Amino acid sequence: MAGSTTRNPLTLPQQYLFLQKSKTVAGEGVLGPRRLEWHFHAQPTPLSRTYQVTLVLERDGTPDVRVVDPALRLLAGERDLPHIYHDPDRLCLYLPGTGQWDASKRLDLTIIPWTHLWLIYFEEWLVSDDWKGGGKHPGEDDPNEGNRALRRSLQRQR
Amino acid sequence: MNQIFSHTLTDTAIQRRAQVFTILEEICQELEWTQTQFEKARTSYEAVADWLAGSSDPMLASLHVYLHGSGALGTSIKPIGRDEFDVDLISFILGLGPEIAPARLKAAIGQRLREHAYYASILEEKKRCWRLNYAGDFHLDISPTIANPNCMNGGELVPDRKLRDWHATNPRAYRALFDERAALVPRMTQSIIASQRDAATTEPFPVRQSVKGILRRTVQLLKRHRDLEFLHVQEEIAPISIIITTLAMRSYEMCVRRHVFADELEVLIDTIRLMPVFIERPLVNGRQIYAVWNETTNGENFAERWNEEPARVEAFYKWHSKALADFESLRDLVGLDAIVGSMKDSLGDKLVARTMNRRMDALNEGRKTGALVLGAGVGLTTQQSAASTPVPKNEFFGD
Repeated sequence: MAGSTTRNPLTLPQQYLFLQKSKTVAGEGVLGPRRLEWHFHAQPTPLSRTYQVTLVLERDGTPDVRVVDPALRLLAGERDLPHIYHDPDRLCLYLPGTGQWDASKRLDLTIIPWTHLWLIYFEEWLVSDDWKGGGKHPGEDDPNEGNRALRRSLQRQR
Repeated sequence: MNQIFSHTLTDTAIQRRAQVFTILEEICQELEWTQTQFEKARTSYEAVADWLAGSSDPMLASLHVYLHGSGALGTSIKPIGRDEFDVDLISFILGLGPEIAPARLKAAIGQRLREHAYYASILEEKKRCWRLNYAGDFHLDISPTIANPNCMNGGELVPDRKLRDWHATNPRAYRALFDERAALVPRMTQSIIASQRDAATTEPFPVRQSVKGILRRTVQLLKRHRDLEFLHVQEEIAPISIIITTLAMRSYEMCVRRHVFADELEVLIDTIRLMPVFIERPLVNGRQIYAVWNETTNGENFAERWNEEPARVEAFYKWHSKALADFESLRDLVGLDAIVGSMKDSLGDKLVARTMNRRMDALNEGRKTGALVLGAGVGLTTQQSAASTPVPKNEFFGD
């Protein structure tokens, strides 16, 4: 995959095994030859709702994280959701092409904690209208904008 | 999965309620005097005390100035839309009997304050007391009192509202009683369970201890709730702080002595619920009156005005039901947005936003320093345990 030249990518069965052994978040999933699907409940703090989340990783792909329930759009009302890839809505958890995530990184140690982090900022945003988690928006004063890996990732993600 | 999940839910409910109380605790800290403000007020009132003690007026030959009211009880809160705190002082004049006219004693105190050029410049006369306005910081209200020869409990007499007569009061004994009750520690079932679960227990983020005890927090939260509820009410009908404080301390004592609680939040809610039990309805001269007695002296009815102004009675009960419902709903809501939204409605938008901003700053700080972990069953926290995983650095992306 683009941007991961330094370390060996993990295979889907390896990722699946790490998810199954995770002590922090229980879940269950389906492992196919080209696709891994993992369902888990994320409650970022004791004050938060428990969100039903589905994580999908296809071979040579990037992780897709969708909140299945409750519906984020329903919670947000009329407002546009922050830090989301659209159609369908998926959480934007890391900056593509920077190595924050690449195929050598374990999902249970990156994507899953980041999902919790996203959800805590989301719930706070619901009430304050102010995303306090930082991050970048496409095309926004971005030092990596000229980066080919980023552009390629973007094309895939959107 | 289902079994694990329902077990997690039970634990989660315990943690959620504990976290709600922690936020309420943080809101109270946000409402209080800062240490600097406190020190400044103390320096000022000690100087005033010294000044009054140096009077050459024989009437004021022997006096003792002390703090009373919410400052003494540890239940002060910032007023809405003002930064100035009320600091209530008693100037207890020894060696005078009730034959002295209240107006004369009050005038003597005023005269002494006017002899000081600075005090004279910030002095304001109130009905029953003198006020020194330290603009932007606080104001000191100084009420003269004398010994009450009819009180066996070391009580005092303070001028009544018309300055015609003396009125029984006992701030020092009231404070002692309040402190005694505030020191009562409720029995909790959850703390027992929590200690049994010790190994698995990681405190959710961030970790704070209740420093003042539940009674003081209850009083502060109720006063704040009252301030907001009556913010736009023109008539003077809001329940006065001394009534809220007295009912809360009596209710708290009864609750703590009789019951075992799930957690702090339940203590808070039950204390609020039972407050009206201590509003008495004695028959006086053939008329059933309202009474909230000062237990530390005879004849001080904090609810005296309810008997002339029935609107105050209605205002109290209406406010009380609303406060109870609001704190009960905090106990049951799920979702940070729902909980914080409800707190904003009942305790004030800006106050709650400030408190939440501090929490989010702490979260972001934990992210930056790498202290933030995802713990089993608790979510994001800065307390590491065997079953926790660090949250690596990331930047959110996308629209």
